[in-house]
Amino acid sequence: MKRKLKSLLLVSLALMMAFSMVACNSKPVETNDDPIRIGFFAPITGPAAADGLSTSNSAELAVEIVNGNGGINGRKVEIVKYDDGLDTKQAVNIAQKLTTNDNVVAVVSGSYSGPTRVAAPIFQEAGIPMISGYAIHPEVTQSGDFIFSQSFSGAVQGKAGGVVAVDMLKAKRISIIAVDIDFGKELSESFTQYVEANGAEVVSLDKFAMSDSEFGPVITKLKEEVKPDLIYMANYYGHGAEIVRQVKNMDFDVQILGTEGIDSYQFLEIAGEDAEGVILTTNMDRDSEDESTQTYIKTYTEKYGLIPDMVGASVYDAFQVLFKVIEEVGTEPEDIRDAIKELKNFRTVTGVLIEYAPSREAIKPVQIQIIENGEFHYFDRIEDLDIITPVPK
Amino acid sequence: MLLQQLVNGIMIGSVYALTAMGATLIYGILRILDIANAAAYAVGAYLGWYIYTLTNNLFLAFFLAMILTGLIGVLVEKYIYLPIISKPNVITIVPLITSVGLFTLTGDLLRLIAGPNVKSLGVKLRIGVLQIGNLRINPEWIFIIILTALLFSILWFILNKTKLGLAWRATASDSEIAQAMGVNINVSMALSYILGYGFAASAGIMVGLLYNSIYPTMGDIPSYKMLAIIVLGGLGNPVGTVLAGLLIGLSETLVAAYIGSIMPRDVIAFLVLIIVLLVKPSGLISKKNA
Repeated sequence: MKRKLKSLLLVSLALMMAFSMVACNSKPVETNDDPIRIGFFAPITGPAAADGLSTSNSAELAVEIVNGNGGINGRKVEIVKYDDGLDTKQAVNIAQKLTTNDNVVAVVSGSYSGPTRVAAPIFQEAGIPMISGYAIHPEVTQSGDFIFSQSFSGAVQGKAGGVVAVDMLKAKRISIIAVDIDFGKELSESFTQYVEANGAEVVSLDKFAMSDSEFGPVITKLKEEVKPDLIYMANYYGHGAEIVRQVKNMDFDVQILGTEGIDSYQFLEIAGEDAEGVILTTNMDRDSEDESTQTYIKTYTEKYGLIPDMVGASVYDAFQVLFKVIEEVGTEPEDIRDAIKELKNFRTVTGVLIEYAPSREAIKPVQIQIIENGEFHYFDRIEDLDIITPVPK
Repeated sequence: MLLQQLVNGIMIGSVYALTAMGATLIYGILRILDIANAAAYAVGAYLGWYIYTLTNNLFLAFFLAMILTGLIGVLVEKYIYLPIISKPNVITIVPLITSVGLFTLTGDLLRLIAGPNVKSLGVKLRIGVLQIGNLRINPEWIFIIILTALLFSILWFILNKTKLGLAWRATASDSEIAQAMGVNINVSMALSYILGYGFAASAGIMVGLLYNSIYPTMGDIPSYKMLAIIVLGGLGNPVGTVLAGLLIGLSETLVAAYIGSIMPRDVIAFLVLIIVLLVKPSGLISKKNA
């Protein structure tokens, strides 16, 4: 009896092993019926969850629209989505999963510079192209030739801010309030460089940690002692909204210039009517007559009931670039990389992508928007290649 | 400019005092460092926002949210903390870790229920700006300072002039003797949580009003900053907490105004804490029996 049981056990074990080996070997060869898988990660939880929602919505929308039109060359697109929680350790895990487990042909980052910067080398190593939606740190694309940025670098945008401040608004005495991380540092450095070379003076620089939320003391100081004619805000919407609220509260008559960091429906929501007249550098022109821009704004608003912003639009565009090149060259990662490099004058939601610079950052016009009646509107546009082409460091 | 900066500092200081008051009251009785008080702060802000959007009545939103959050506090005390601390030989770190867990859980629950977006109260107060020479005080600030003073007066009255308060103070100074003398310490504990979570909620709504933003992670900074304030105030002492809140608010403001933003505000708070503790290890006001 005992022996019988033993042999039964052995047989069943052997059968199980045989089955599992079959299962291992039966990994399917990619066929035309399989979806094209594209990886995506964004800070869906944690302190940047609102931006995570914008980018994740936009990624879903991009895929939904392309599939609605029959997919790419008859193949459906599938998105493999992860939440990095704005945590660099998490971003590393995600990049490892995407490169080893998930069978993706390319990746879009919908995250900030921190997570994107640590994930980029892993994609480079694995030879999988990644396009970062809006991370501005130069080290993101310095990771290697598989890594692209859909937005202009902080250096370009800071310089463009300088053009707005000095050449368009004729400011002479400028105060800077910056968030004390990569984002604020990159922007305020190149801004200062341009401003000081062009006849204006930076009269004060105040840096704030991300966790700070109280700007009363610094606005009091600027109003009563420094007396600038323009405040440049190199920060995100939370800080930005609080600064414009304090400026209005203190009845301080000064022009405020922001960056893409405040290009968010959240900025309009928190700052309310105190945001009127604020000017900002960004990449999406809400008043553009371009069809793709207007379609994106319309479908996004209808589907999600939220006002679209630059982080979402940039991620949407990163997907458009991938769709375009995959349609042309197929799904081999090297071919995708080469085709992105060759892309020229491609119309996107965030303006015409002229080309990718040798540093693989997108060269495209910088849009200057002004807030009027609680909405972003056209103020000006910078297309001068001397300004919008990144200078290698 | 100095006068304006002093007003800025006092205003921030009152909000800090209010934020830390809830945790102070709970520590006073249960000797629990209740990090979850920062969750009550966020929950209160959300309840206040929700009631305000329904009724458009700020005072109603304020007090209803305080009461509801206070009641949640009693449930948390009765069904989570009490069973834990009444176990024999429980080490003090267990309720602390429990509170950290509650706090983390609440942040994500709020995100799942209300979404990650910032909610704005969008309150426009009808009273005008108070302008005396160069000094400007905004309606929100006036509202916050008056309400803080009112809440502290009510608290002082409850603790010092009522039987309930006498029982609370007796329990705070020695719960075993208080119990032996016939004080119902369960009532004192429940009072701690009603007041503690109610105060946290009021602070959350005020901060939400001040910055016009309510979001799931809004309790993150208060969760550790209130520790600096309650320790500085002498752990469990309400008057000490008010003084500590004001001291930290003023120090942060004056450093930001005159020395510049050389370090984050939170660092300044903890620096003040370390300096004071070096001189006076028991905090600004220590317990008489300590």
